[in-house]
Amino acid sequence: MMENNGNKIPDVTVVSLNSSAYPSLLKSISNPPRKLYCRGDLSLLQMPAVAVVGARKASEYGKWAAYNMGKTLAEYGIVIISGMACGIDSWAHKGALAAGGKTIAVFGCGVDICYPKSNAGLMEDIIMKGLVISEFESGMHPSIITFPLRNRIISGLSLATVVVEAGLKSGSLITAERAAEQGRYVYAVPGNIDRVSSIGANKLIQDGASLIVSPDDVASDLGFIRGDIIEKRSLSLGEDEKLIFDAIRFSGELTVDELCAKTCLPPQDVNGLVTVLEMKGILETAMGRVFTAK
Amino acid sequence: MNAYIIKSIGLAGLNGFDVIVETSITNGLPAFVIVGLPDNSVQESRERVRAVIKNLGYEFPMRRILVNLAPADTRKEGSIYDLPIALAVLIASGQITPAAEDSVFAGELSLDGKLRPVAGMLPMALSARDSGAKALFAPKDSAAEASLARGLAVYAADHISEIIDHLNGAGEICPAEECQPLFSEAKGLDFSDIKGQAAARRAIEIAVSGAHNMLLSGTAGGGKSMMVKRIPSILPPMTMEEMIETTAIHSVAGLTSKSNPLVRQRPFRSPHHTISAAGAAGGGKTPKPGEMSLSHNGVLFLDEFPEFRRDVLESLRQPMEDGYVTITRANRSYKYPSGFMLVGAMNPCKCGWHGHPSGKCVCSEESIKNYMMRISGPILDRIDLFVNVPPVKYAELTSVSEAETSEKIRDRVVRTRELQMSRQGTTNSRLMGGLMKTYCGISREGELMMKSAYEKFSLSARAYSKIIKVARTIADMSGSPDIETEHLAEAIQYRRSGTLLV
Repeated sequence: MMENNGNKIPDVTVVSLNSSAYPSLLKSISNPPRKLYCRGDLSLLQMPAVAVVGARKASEYGKWAAYNMGKTLAEYGIVIISGMACGIDSWAHKGALAAGGKTIAVFGCGVDICYPKSNAGLMEDIIMKGLVISEFESGMHPSIITFPLRNRIISGLSLATVVVEAGLKSGSLITAERAAEQGRYVYAVPGNIDRVSSIGANKLIQDGASLIVSPDDVASDLGFIRGDIIEKRSLSLGEDEKLIFDAIRFSGELTVDELCAKTCLPPQDVNGLVTVLEMKGILETAMGRVFTAK
Repeated sequence: MNAYIIKSIGLAGLNGFDVIVETSITNGLPAFVIVGLPDNSVQESRERVRAVIKNLGYEFPMRRILVNLAPADTRKEGSIYDLPIALAVLIASGQITPAAEDSVFAGELSLDGKLRPVAGMLPMALSARDSGAKALFAPKDSAAEASLARGLAVYAADHISEIIDHLNGAGEICPAEECQPLFSEAKGLDFSDIKGQAAARRAIEIAVSGAHNMLLSGTAGGGKSMMVKRIPSILPPMTMEEMIETTAIHSVAGLTSKSNPLVRQRPFRSPHHTISAAGAAGGGKTPKPGEMSLSHNGVLFLDEFPEFRRDVLESLRQPMEDGYVTITRANRSYKYPSGFMLVGAMNPCKCGWHGHPSGKCVCSEESIKNYMMRISGPILDRIDLFVNVPPVKYAELTSVSEAETSEKIRDRVVRTRELQMSRQGTTNSRLMGGLMKTYCGISREGELMMKSAYEKFSLSARAYSKIIKVARTIADMSGSPDIETEHLAEAIQYRRSGTLLV
């Protein structure tokens, strides 16, 4: 229906529960949708994802936080999932797209309907660069029942759910609740206590959600290294250097002896390579252990 | 004329000096006076000499006997002047035949005339030889040691009467045979006993190859002490010169054995951490060498490094830098060589578990920091290799795979040391200033690497030259004439990392 840079907007694809394209994380929740209607890059369903959700009525602070959350996590190669509602959701998508990252919008209506209408441009962007999904057939309009149902998919697709800003009765609190039920991490961005818009998120923290000090918190908790860093690091490495770097990357931390055993290189070579990698800012050593650099 | 001269020797620190025993017997009230700054032990020799002369059946002159020990302004100590004084009195009183001018006498007398051994015989013999003496008359028990001074005929006697007979021509003493150095290899503890620890073994081999100071740190049970105790098994043999140097120090300290005085193996000293500064650096009214000097040409192992008293650790500074200890007393200063290779071992914290995967450590950040701070920066600056020894895994402990033997490692160490000695006449760790410039050239690429390492790891100037020296040793180990970037890269890994000392 629309042309964008000469590329056709993808059509709707249906992914059923027993398809290999169906995301395994979502399959593990108690009531997974039987079908997913998808528009965009289906491979995103297999990638590690984090949900960033929040109120429609967002403060400037909330928008900033959502945008940066989306942008920072996307830089780690994490897919940002949200509901493309006004406010926080939209800014989270925008942040991810700005970082050149991937994002999934989960709709409470058919994937051919743009809701809210003001996000038509964003929806097109997401379909072209990311993915739009829904459990509802095309043509279905959103209602007061569809949004809470949609929220279980948002949290169900994600390793963690971040609530950026939420009033007392915000739908994002339902998403957080679902995430907790599904055994996923719940994070909340703290807000000033003189605002109603902060109460929901702050209360989540009071109830035990992890407080976010910096957007990197989520990524480092989940054990991610920024994608561009990994790529940049790997690109500049020689064969043996890569061997060492990979051994460390997959094991977290190793002693020189363990590195020798894993790479089958003598200690003199390992020591030299570690120095070189340290100077390239890729590894760090402390107490006789070798880590990836932060 | 009733004055007679007989030669003896004195010892100040490690340096001997000539002593001339002048004796004059004159008419006057009977007296026996020793002048020339004798200390108490020399004064007492009057009584021993009087008793010996009478017990031998000679006449003790009932006249005024004056013994002058020249040079008169240098303090004389010890009992070694018993023999020369007794002989001088007998010669001056015309009872026995004078000795040849190039003969030197030293020895303590028992009351019946037996000769007792004296400490410091080797340095005294060396000094006598160097000042032109041809013969040394010494107690039998010190003779083996004295004979290490090549070119000096050592006449060993059990009793003063043998020497008197020799002088009178009534019976000749044969010069003692030269003590032959037997090269022996350290037996016992072997590196093949060590399980795992490939990285630490490598670091130890580098340290020994270049005689670099090293500090091993790690949690309890990693086998730090176990590895260090096996270092003697990979030390290269000593040269004759080194043996003499080390033996001289042990001789002054009175530690040499009678029958087999030559120190043939590189010393490995591991004093307990309660040692005093005097015990470590040397001390006493007339300073005796301490552990630092006793480990000259060998290894000084300080286990539980931070537990040593602060003044002991600080006293390591000068010897680590210059290779000798200077102890100054009111009358003079004494210089003892102490070119040791320092090996320190330490736990990373007081409880010993900091950094162990089990997370057993109960120390606070502050207490860990304080523990590290016990070793001052200047001392750490003088250490070339810092090595972390990780705990051994159970799988490694029980593995049957045979580790490399000490013999193999030693062969490589010997080769690397020989290379250094033939190139520059000293070990890589002792390369200073100009020598370092001459022998430690690095390529342009290496320079670039060092420049970025200098900035990245904020190295000190001293750390920089330490790295270069260690890299020189690593290059020597691989037989490379030039220091390549890979040698530098490995050497940088042994630097003091920021976390060892916060």
